Amino acid sequence: MARSSSLQFDGAAPAGSAVPELRLPRLAEQLLSWRWVALAVLIVGWFVYYPIIDNFRVSTTTQDIFTGEVQHVGLENYARLAGDPVVLTALFNNLAYAVLSIVFQVFGAFVLASIIEDIASHRMRNLWRAIYFIPSAISTTVTGLLFYFIYQPDIGILDGLLTAAGLGGWSRAWLGDQSTAIYAVIAMSQWQGFGYSTLLFTIAIQKIPRDLYDAARMDGAGPLRQLWSVTLPMTREMTGMMIIVTITGAFQVFNEVMVMTSGGPNNSSQVLGTWLYQMGFSQNEMGYAAAIGSLIFAVTMACGLAQLWHTRRRRVAA
Amino acid sequence: MTRKTTIAALLAAGTALAPAMVPAQAADPAAEVDYSGTLTILTKFGMQRLQPYFTDLAAQYEEMHPDVSIELIQEDDDSIKGKTSTLVASNSIPDIFFSWTGTWGGNFVRGNRAADLTAVIGPDTDWGRTFAPAAVDAFVYNGRNYGIPLYLDAKFMGYSKPIFDAAGVGVPATFGELLSACDAIKAAGYLPVSFGNKEPWAGLHYLGQLLAYNVPRDVLEADFDPATATYDDPGYAAALEQFAAFEDRCTIGPDVNGVSYQTAIQQLSDGKSAMYYQEIIEFDSAARPDTALTADQFGFFALPAPADAAGDPMALEGAPEGYMISSASDNIPLAIDFMKFATSPGHARTLSAPPYGQPSAVVGGGDPETMNPSVVAGLDDIAEASYLVPWLDTVNHPRVAAAWLSEFQGFAGGTSSAEDVMEAVRKAAASVAN
Amino acid sequence: MTATAEHAAEDGMGPAPRAPWAVIGRAMLQALLVAMAVLVLYPLAWMALNGFRSNTEIFNDPFALPQHWSFAAYAAAWQNGVSQFVASSLLVTGVSIVTTVFISAWAAYGLTRTRIPGQPLVTGFILGGMMLSPTVALVPLVRMMQDFGLYNTHWALILLYTAFRVPFTTFLIRAYMLDLPRDLDEAARMDGASEGQIFRRIILPLCRPILVSCVILHILFAWNEYLFAMIFTNSPSTQTLPVGLTSLMSKHGTDFAQVFAAMTISALPIVIVFFLTQRYFVRGLTEGIGK
Repeated sequence: MARSSSLQFDGAAPAGSAVPELRLPRLAEQLLSWRWVALAVLIVGWFVYYPIIDNFRVSTTTQDIFTGEVQHVGLENYARLAGDPVVLTALFNNLAYAVLSIVFQVFGAFVLASIIEDIASHRMRNLWRAIYFIPSAISTTVTGLLFYFIYQPDIGILDGLLTAAGLGGWSRAWLGDQSTAIYAVIAMSQWQGFGYSTLLFTIAIQKIPRDLYDAARMDGAGPLRQLWSVTLPMTREMTGMMIIVTITGAFQVFNEVMVMTSGGPNNSSQVLGTWLYQMGFSQNEMGYAAAIGSLIFAVTMACGLAQLWHTRRRRVAA
Repeated sequence: MTRKTTIAALLAAGTALAPAMVPAQAADPAAEVDYSGTLTILTKFGMQRLQPYFTDLAAQYEEMHPDVSIELIQEDDDSIKGKTSTLVASNSIPDIFFSWTGTWGGNFVRGNRAADLTAVIGPDTDWGRTFAPAAVDAFVYNGRNYGIPLYLDAKFMGYSKPIFDAAGVGVPATFGELLSACDAIKAAGYLPVSFGNKEPWAGLHYLGQLLAYNVPRDVLEADFDPATATYDDPGYAAALEQFAAFEDRCTIGPDVNGVSYQTAIQQLSDGKSAMYYQEIIEFDSAARPDTALTADQFGFFALPAPADAAGDPMALEGAPEGYMISSASDNIPLAIDFMKFATSPGHARTLSAPPYGQPSAVVGGGDPETMNPSVVAGLDDIAEASYLVPWLDTVNHPRVAAAWLSEFQGFAGGTSSAEDVMEAVRKAAASVAN
Repeated sequence: MTATAEHAAEDGMGPAPRAPWAVIGRAMLQALLVAMAVLVLYPLAWMALNGFRSNTEIFNDPFALPQHWSFAAYAAAWQNGVSQFVASSLLVTGVSIVTTVFISAWAAYGLTRTRIPGQPLVTGFILGGMMLSPTVALVPLVRMMQDFGLYNTHWALILLYTAFRVPFTTFLIRAYMLDLPRDLDEAARMDGASEGQIFRRIILPLCRPILVSCVILHILFAWNEYLFAMIFTNSPSTQTLPVGLTSLMSKHGTDFAQVFAAMTISALPIVIVFFLTQRYFVRGLTEGIGK
């Protein structure tokens, strides 16, 4: 249907294109063209921008959700933020999330994608990619709960596997141990996310002109050399974007932590998102929660601007 | 377009800012009940086993009054706090909602969110007289009644008689005897106490009881109020020390933080552990007809007091739990009528008996014939207790409670010292007092 | 892995390996791919199989296969709320796909094919929404949704999913439209076709690949979203799968078979959708990347 309707106009169209005739006065036409974007602007403005701006107002108050009393306290919540040890823990955890995700989901996925593209047949390529992608398609609640069970000392399979491998001494309550809880959550996240970035990298690698590899091979470059001097530079844009997206994502982490540890034990696996939730919705400190929100805003905004700068530079370079 | 958005948004902000300061509605006993509309009820009976209680009540009530429809939001121990807060924050408090006594319930009173029920459930009212007086009093704030007690609750150590026999131990009379019993049970090849501290309130229940034994009541109660809190009684350190010894000798140790309370109770039911510290309302779920541990193999005792404790050795941790009615409800008389229906003698007896096993707060609301004998005996212990010390996480200000919960979890995990715990609690209390 | 790859490199091997080191290297890399696949699939299989096992089986031998193939746990999970959660998820995902994709396609058309006053600003405004984190908006949104009477309704989720996905979806469609040749629609305009006709009959059909990708990406998002669903819905009749699952977990936490069954039920549709639409999804992404 699509094709026939476009052909209909196609047939009538003269070769070459002229400036379209204006049937309405210019200003009226311009104003009328707003109708195309009106809904998008309205809904994004109302439900995305306004609440985020309002968040800053809320962050300068303390609110008692029970009485509805609002007190204006200026920057007091921000002062508290600076002195809150859990915020430091959360920042560290978000950062660990970002660093480990870059290692596994960007560089690990890059290497994996290169291997797939290098040694797998066309049919197998699609199969590997599809299999690795499955966890990314599944809800984080499901994967989080699944790993919650996998990490359990009694019914989980991780400790069973360790014991079978003769590493029984390593087994522990992964999510109940302050020193391992956040890393156990991060590990789940890598398991879930690496397939998505692998898929993106295989697509990017496929777009590299084959003759670049042929030329490299003529120069006597082996597979590793080709990876280094052709694949890596040719996917640099993708890698750069992915690093930024990964960092932004790492600072918005919420679901997996909530499902697996709720930030415990003793706040050791708290991230900014869960700390905001706990403050705002368990401890009824909406003002302080809003201040934590501002912190998340600052970090993600910085990442967003970096992304913008990155794409701009790419455009200019291209 | 953008400006329009902004204006509309600002208007929305204006309404958001206006606090919901409606004066507390007082229930009028003479009010005509309008049997129509929807009642929303937030319960704490979300656990699979308990769910049917309110589901059945709602179905019966809807059948009696076809124009009424009842919407249940059933949460469990772990999720109810967060859910309640979210509902309050969004001004969506259900018509009838679960509440603990103490500061938790006080929040609703302070915010005029709970209807004043003095005229219907207060002293010398027909309905009020049907309840155990202490249970009704637990929901009195500023001399007014705000809550409808549904059942009584207290914490006991449930144990498996066969394992105790196998290990050759009897019911311990002192805290020291409990620890040696653990050694004997361990030697017999069983886990002495299954304890899941993933949800940190579970561990705090031990501490609450130990604090009641080690800290004099007046000191403890002064410390519950941030304005007068000092937390300098030596009993705090003593209680923490006792807990550490208990965790070391009776449980799997710091890994308890990775075990959920549900897994822990399952271990007792499966006959893998000898003891599980539980609420009386859990007796009927620990030993069921379909579990390895049967009801007649199940025994219980109050956590034994240390021999030289400075507090009250006859104190018991527990409190009645009940329901409040939202002051913003469209149909307060209907909500009251439903609660009268729920606390009628017949329904009270259903609640007290298996499979629910929630000892009703209604006088004569339990028939010893139909109830689990352990629950009946537990009720006697509650009646004999010299002081019912409320849960630490609901009696304290949320910020103080949060400090207890997280630092004590760290203590159980071996990463916080006793001094760290007290320092965090002291700091939290000071920040609230200011 | 690195070591074998290096050996392969030292031998200067191209795609057709001859030297023994290269053969071993390739074999090891193949083994790595297989191992990764097992790492992905085994936990998922364990999850699905546990839905067939009794509590005792799950506790006593975590690795064993089920002794009986009974769907009882799956049926119980379905009856204990999963059917309602699936219905909510379907409704919210379905409606928000329509709203998001249409609003975004309109916006993308407006931004690429008409002369809107202040066009760069409008573009920046809509696409800038991509940088804003839902978490930050959470606290004010609670009051807003309550004031609108949308709290605990499917509409709250539909509105929020639309609002927070329009920027990204517009970004994708706009990039695609920018690269579409302009002669078709200009020719149609010469023929007197209205803007609406051009959009409906020329641009939209041409955008089909990216629209399919947008729909799939939106399904992946809406079916799995947790934060908003957790805050803005509270009753079993409005909760979507991700939130419903956590409440099922806390309510039936000791009936492990049922919890695993519920998890499997909620994962299955999305995995099937992905496998069925994989080709279009990859094509859309391929065309979307590098624009």
